[in-house]
Amino acid sequence: MARLILLPIFFWSALALGTVDDSGRVVFDYQMNCQGCHTPDGAGAGSVPAMKGHVGVFLQSQEGREYLVRVPGSATSALSDERLAAVLNWIMYEFAGDSLQSPFIPYTASEVAPLREKPLNEVDAYRERLLRAIAGADARE
Amino acid sequence: MNFFDKVFEQRSRQLAQRSSRRGLLKGLGALLVGGASIPLLPVARAAGNESPGRPLEEGDPSSCDYWRYCAIDGFLCDCCGGSANTCPPGTEMSPVTWIGTCHNPADGRNYVISYNDCCGKSSCGACLCMRDEGDRPVYRPDKTNDINWCLGTSSASYHCSTAIVVGVAFDD
Repeated sequence: MARLILLPIFFWSALALGTVDDSGRVVFDYQMNCQGCHTPDGAGAGSVPAMKGHVGVFLQSQEGREYLVRVPGSATSALSDERLAAVLNWIMYEFAGDSLQSPFIPYTASEVAPLREKPLNEVDAYRERLLRAIAGADARE
Repeated sequence: MNFFDKVFEQRSRQLAQRSSRRGLLKGLGALLVGGASIPLLPVARAAGNESPGRPLEEGDPSSCDYWRYCAIDGFLCDCCGGSANTCPPGTEMSPVTWIGTCHNPADGRNYVISYNDCCGKSSCGACLCMRDEGDRPVYRPDKTNDINWCLGTSSASYHCSTAIVVGVAFDD
C-alpha cells in the first residue's frame, strides 16, 4: 500500500523539480531560426501567419505535410536535416493544439532531406490552394 | 502501581477518544503530499542569478558597450525613456524581431537576444549604437539588422531598440 502511494508522489516530485531539460537545443534552434518572425508562442503577427492552433491542419494531406518542409524558412534554413526535423516536431507538439486531428507521426531526417531540396518559390498562392483543398476534403467527409 | 495504571488508562482513553483509526494515514498522506509540493513554492524560483536561464548582470544599459548590444543597430531605448527590456511610453513593441546571440562577460556564457524595436514615434535620436556583430547581408533577411523591424505593429516608424534576453545559446 505504502508503495502504491509513494510511487506517484515520487514521479510528481520529479516533475515538480524538473531541472533536467533536454528540449534546450530544439528551443534554441527555434529561437535562432524561426522565432524572429513567428514570435515566441507561434502566434505570428501582421503578415506572418499564426502557427499556434493552426499548423496541424497541414498534416491532413501529404502535400501539406511536405509543404511545412518545403516552405523557404524550413528548406533553406541553416539547420541540418536532423535538427530541422526536430524543430518541426517541436512546433507540432508545442503549437498545433486542437488543429492536429490524427496522431502525429514525427518527421525524420531522411524524410526531410529530399523534400528540402525542392523549396517552394511562390509560397502564398501555393499555401492558399493547399488549404482550400484540405478544407474541401473536410467538407466532403 | 495503581497510580501508573490510572495514568496509562487515562492517556489511552484520551488517545482513543481524540484520534481516529485512519488518523495516521491522513497525517502521513498530508506529510507526503505537502513535502512533494514544497518545490512548487515560489521560494525555489527566487534564487535569481543562480538559475541557468538568467544572466549575471553588470554594465550600463545606457552605454553602447553593454554586453546585450553586441548585434544592435539603432537607438538605445534606455536613453529614450524606456529600458533595455521595455519600450518608452507612447511606442509599441514590435512582436517581429531579429534575433542574435551575445557573450556575457560577467558569467562567461552566450545568450539569445531578441532585438525588439519600439515603433510608432519618429526616431529617438539618442545613443546611436551600431555594433552589428553577426549581422548578415539582406539575402539572409532573418539575420540582417539593416531592415526596418517594425513589422506587425500598427505603425512602421522606428523609434528605438531593446535587447531582451530570451534564452541560453548552445555552442555549435
